[in-house]
Amino acid sequence: MQQTDLIRYLTRFFKATGCTVLPASHQGQIRVRLTEKMDQLLMNRPFYWHYIHQTGGTPETATLVLNTDLTIAEGEPIYPGSPRLHQIFKAARQLAMFIRMYQKIPEQADRALEPWIELNVKISDRCDLKRDRMASIGLQLINGTLIEGFHQVLNKLELSSRMPDYCYTLTPLITVRSGLIRIEKLIEKELRGESAEWADEAEYRWNQDQRLLDLFYEHETEMPDVYTQECETLKELYQPRTTVRLVNAGLYYLRSETFLPDRIISR
Amino acid sequence: MEPIIQFDRSWQNDFLKKIDDDGPWANPELFELAYQAEKESMIPSFQGLVAPGMLPALNLHPHQIETARQVIEKMHGKAILADEVGLGKTIEAGLVIKEYMLRGLVRKVLILVPASLVLQWVAELNRKFSIPAVPQRKTYVWDACDIVVSSIDTAKREPHRSLVLKQDYDLIVIDEAHKLKNQQTRNYQFVRELRKKFCLLLTATPIQNRLDEIFYLVSILKPGFLGNEAQFSRTFKSGNRSVKNEDRLKQLVDQVMVRNRRSDTGMDWPKRIVASIPVQFSAEERTFYQSLDLLKQAGLVDGFTLLTVKREACSSREAAYVTLNKRYRKSANPENQQLWNTVFQKLNTVRSNAKAEKALELIRKIDDKVIIFTEYRATQLYLQWYLKQYGISSVPYSGGFRRGKKDWMRSLFENRVQVLIATEAGGEGINLQFASHLINYDLPWNPMRVEQRIGRIHRLGQKEDVHIYNFAVQDTVENHILDLLYNKIDLFEQVVGELDEILARINLKDLDHQVSRIFEESDSEGELRIKLDNLSSVINSEKNTLAAEDGFHAAN
Repeated sequence: MQQTDLIRYLTRFFKATGCTVLPASHQGQIRVRLTEKMDQLLMNRPFYWHYIHQTGGTPETATLVLNTDLTIAEGEPIYPGSPRLHQIFKAARQLAMFIRMYQKIPEQADRALEPWIELNVKISDRCDLKRDRMASIGLQLINGTLIEGFHQVLNKLELSSRMPDYCYTLTPLITVRSGLIRIEKLIEKELRGESAEWADEAEYRWNQDQRLLDLFYEHETEMPDVYTQECETLKELYQPRTTVRLVNAGLYYLRSETFLPDRIISR
Repeated sequence: MEPIIQFDRSWQNDFLKKIDDDGPWANPELFELAYQAEKESMIPSFQGLVAPGMLPALNLHPHQIETARQVIEKMHGKAILADEVGLGKTIEAGLVIKEYMLRGLVRKVLILVPASLVLQWVAELNRKFSIPAVPQRKTYVWDACDIVVSSIDTAKREPHRSLVLKQDYDLIVIDEAHKLKNQQTRNYQFVRELRKKFCLLLTATPIQNRLDEIFYLVSILKPGFLGNEAQFSRTFKSGNRSVKNEDRLKQLVDQVMVRNRRSDTGMDWPKRIVASIPVQFSAEERTFYQSLDLLKQAGLVDGFTLLTVKREACSSREAAYVTLNKRYRKSANPENQQLWNTVFQKLNTVRSNAKAEKALELIRKIDDKVIIFTEYRATQLYLQWYLKQYGISSVPYSGGFRRGKKDWMRSLFENRVQVLIATEAGGEGINLQFASHLINYDLPWNPMRVEQRIGRIHRLGQKEDVHIYNFAVQDTVENHILDLLYNKIDLFEQVVGELDEILARINLKDLDHQVSRIFEESDSEGELRIKLDNLSSVINSEKNTLAAEDGFHAAN
């Protein structure tokens, strides 16, 4: 993340959480007065808040001064990898697991909105090494249409968290629970279709280490406990696994025309 | 092999409940920011390091980044880090830990280091890497904290031991790992029993003279990599100490060990400027020194003790007194009382210390921070008192100090006082690169120990040329060792780390023992000279071989 992107991200984050962004004294700096909730989430001062709540005092929330320009002495440096940014990322994820949104509708359009779910997941291949990627999948809960890259599609639509006037939502035929299973099945099918070269390589390393280990204890008549333990840790280390973890998920009500061929409507 | 696919479904009920209750729903802007945060923190490739880009405040050297990459990609996180002293093994270890943490491959880490270095490790990991390491202070820390730094002696003792063995560590780091070399020790057994996926062993002296040591170290990392004990002996040992199939062994060891040399790093290292400072005994000191021979002639001390006392006498009469008094208590009887009296009288007439006077003169001239190394505690105390008489404050530093005291002394030296007086045991691990003048007040007989002393200041971060002053009293054992051995092998000008390799190759176990035998067994000055000469030429010839090999490698 470049410095300007970082400042933009932080500004959006603090505005979205209701904090007050104050004028900064340097370029590359952000100064923000926290809300009570964000103070409790970010500033790590539980005793203060306990005291305020017990005494019924008026809280004084903290003002954060963050610098993306590391040469500025005032305030706290923030950069990719810094504990503060890590904490803010974590807060964003905690605060925004699930949303529900409606597509805005032009005049005279069809008033029916179809239900969709969106699943944003992080898929990680791991053995002694690890790599991640993101996937975003959408499922229409009436006819079962599945769309990959759903998040990018949604970004092009005009959405609102309130249902537009004179609209109605269609009732799903597929329950959300079974919808989630369909999405899992799709992800699994795609993963199975991918090259497993990395997993083969990990298996090779695993076998190699296991062979050495067996050799080491070759002359033992009874295997010591530490042998079993070492076998287990080799498995933990090398066993190729692909984990699928949720980033966030949403329930959407969208116009059916949106998904007609060549009819993805831009904002 | 098909990877196991695991779905995390722990969130599903929450989602279904929100749908049932129709909320409360998150802010859509935050939803987008959460998505971006995740995208930003994911690491799309197995290869390469992301940690260096996340540590803008840390000035990493290319060899450190390359080492961390190699450890992770080629050695699968099981490696011996054996850089020469001062190249930043701690930094390399920190980088590996950080990379694994960023990738989510490591959460629980145990770092075992000498007690004196616990706080230094904690501070470096926190300050330089934002790794929330904590020192082990209470028993609950083992369970409650993810990244713990402890001394091995604490960890292996109950009640800690069973708690530590219960933990499922992702990564274990052991500093000064050469101390684990012996399979019989409880430390070694303890380390073997720890549950660990990844493991880093840090040592500056990996190729010890005993082949077994390398076998045991590698067996901690990868049991079986060098075979089992019987196979290892069969394949690589010839006799007690010699190696056979050396190339094969080296090739194997290279697969689990990274060793950066100063000369390979392409860094501009500050120079070492070495000065031999000859010191003349005062008449009284000389008489006392010579009177010691009487003890040997009368059979009151053996050759080795005589040598020891003589070396001490070259340092201070206080140091000599400790040993003399011990001998005296053991052997005094009416017959030799007269002789003992003579010696102690001579000791008492010594009123000054020629070396201390020289040191004072030098410290005043340098007018900057100075580290004095002595082998003797008594000398350390004397010097502190002596310098104080002349208005120069100093702090002592010894291996026996508790952690907190060591840190305190180091910081006093950095910020307040001009002189730090360290005894030998203080040599390991402490970083003093803010000072650039070092006085070897007396000389140890193991050149490695001299190297370690110099390594305290001649390391990464040293910005000035390093000045080393070697004190040697003229016409004494000390003077011989300096002239006939150290200066001949260019000890002080050597590239750091070369020496341990040379010594390992010629199988000179315990060089100081060899040297003291030469002194003990030589009847004349001439014999002594010849024997020391032989020793230094053996070392030199090995050095030339090594240089030729390196040249060969470089040419390829």
